Amino acid sequence: MMFAALLGRSLARHRALIIAVATLLSAFQTLDVVVAYNLQAKGLYAQFATLVPAFIQEAMGGVLVGSFAGAIALGFAHPLVMLSLSCVAIYLASEPSGEVEEGLVDLVVARPVPRSLIVTRSAVVYVVGSAAIVAAMFATSRIAVRLLSPATAASVSAVRLGWVAANLLAIVWCFGAAALAAAARARQRTRAAGTVALVAVFFYLLQFGAAAWSPLRPLARVSPFHYYEPMQTLLGSVTPVAHLVVLMTTTTVFLAVAYALYNRRDL
Amino acid sequence: MSDAVRTESLTKYFGPVVALEALDLSVARGEVYGFLGPNGAGKTTTIRILLDLVRATTGRALIDGLDCRADSMEARRRIGYLPAEMPLYREMTGAAYLDFLAALESRPVDLSYRQTLLSRFDVSDIDLRRRLDHLSHGMKRKFGIIQALMGRRPLLILDEPTSGLDPLMIEAFAETVHELKTAGQTTVFLSSHVLSEVERLCDRVGIIRRGRLVRQTSIADLRRDTPRRIRVFFDGSAPPPPTGLFAAVRRSDARHWELEWPGPLGSALEAMRGLPISDIEIEPFKLDDYVLEVYTGTAGTRS
Repeated sequence: MMFAALLGRSLARHRALIIAVATLLSAFQTLDVVVAYNLQAKGLYAQFATLVPAFIQEAMGGVLVGSFAGAIALGFAHPLVMLSLSCVAIYLASEPSGEVEEGLVDLVVARPVPRSLIVTRSAVVYVVGSAAIVAAMFATSRIAVRLLSPATAASVSAVRLGWVAANLLAIVWCFGAAALAAAARARQRTRAAGTVALVAVFFYLLQFGAAAWSPLRPLARVSPFHYYEPMQTLLGSVTPVAHLVVLMTTTTVFLAVAYALYNRRDL
Repeated sequence: MSDAVRTESLTKYFGPVVALEALDLSVARGEVYGFLGPNGAGKTTTIRILLDLVRATTGRALIDGLDCRADSMEARRRIGYLPAEMPLYREMTGAAYLDFLAALESRPVDLSYRQTLLSRFDVSDIDLRRRLDHLSHGMKRKFGIIQALMGRRPLLILDEPTSGLDPLMIEAFAETVHELKTAGQTTVFLSSHVLSEVERLCDRVGIIRRGRLVRQTSIADLRRDTPRRIRVFFDGSAPPPPTGLFAAVRRSDARHWELEWPGPLGSALEAMRGLPISDIEIEPFKLDDYVLEVYTGTAGTRS
């Protein structure tokens, strides 16, 4: 009852954001499939591949970008998609600091509500919220491929696309958990969310830079984006179990830190 | 039996800032206790430690004998809380807000009692259906009071409860506190700058200044111990004060004396017998005067 009330309130507060981003990113998937279909219909993939610099292709997942499946994977690997999803998760997860900032936590925690419940609530909201967005993207992509390009639909396996979506979600959850840990300490939501969002952008650029400049490659291992190979995953050359283990372990560590910090802090 | 509220050497530092320094206070069960102090004295910090929103640097706070930190959940089950600044989910309606907070209670809220409170504080069905950000400050305050009272907790911690309320609602609040006091089941820990309200409602007051408790006493003792100010006016020129009054005269001129008289007034009036008095003004006891003296550090060390 208590947890359901907290969860319902938080979801109600963030419902509009989740729906808006799910709609936008689903529209992006549709657009991506339309572009992929047209490139295929006009036989432009080979030409397209020669236009994209090698390091960008590598950063985007390798030479496989020049294929129908690669273009579909781009819907889950485009920087706009990855960073906007990460930012949504970061914002959702930073709710505890917002509640401290606005004083809303006072009336909640003055009642017999365990502090851990606040952290659990925010973890569930960002996990479920981001999963709902990725699920909408996945469903839209599958439907668009089947409707627009039924002949090539078989070349994009639902299971492989599912692995890509799961891997993307694991990155997003990792940033969300980091934001929750930051929010468990911070008194201002913009500070907690803003800091982690900047770190996410930095890690993306680090991973991108490492593709172009090999000395950066060892450093790129600290970036969650390093553990994401959408093109290879979609085409079946990689099954990202190891990536998921690394990302989920990191997420778990950040969540544990969030519980510990929130339990000790002054509200 | 343990006190409803007790603090033992309660100390809190915010970095280099000392918010509370070895605060020892006690509130008996069933008592209405006024917790007073100038802004920044440490009242809100004390309240937040009682609610386990803030952790003490050293010392401890107890609610019904339960440590507010170690037995936090059990202690908070006993508290109804009204913060000084009412935090609101602006997008909610008043009814949804009360329902949400009721869902966080450890036991179901008595809806008939909630309805009684809504009626008493003149909150209509229309008000309940309006969004909280569309309500006036006073109406938001009423929702704050109702949410604090509706759980029927044995300890009410009320921070500036009547701030922004109109006189009718202040009266309704006073009536509610009187009822709780009469029933004897509820302890009220009340922080307020409205000293007339504290004087009227409270059995005892604790005055805190710069994080330290400088005075804890009953209103009855204060009434008894605080010298009364008496102005005596004469027909014609004022005579010299008689021996029994001499020490009490603070000011005098050709037409009147001004006295400060401690204790019962009978002996002072007896000493004035036979004097050509045209009028006597006896100022009623006012907590304000005493508290202002304590705030500024000019009050005596009576305890």
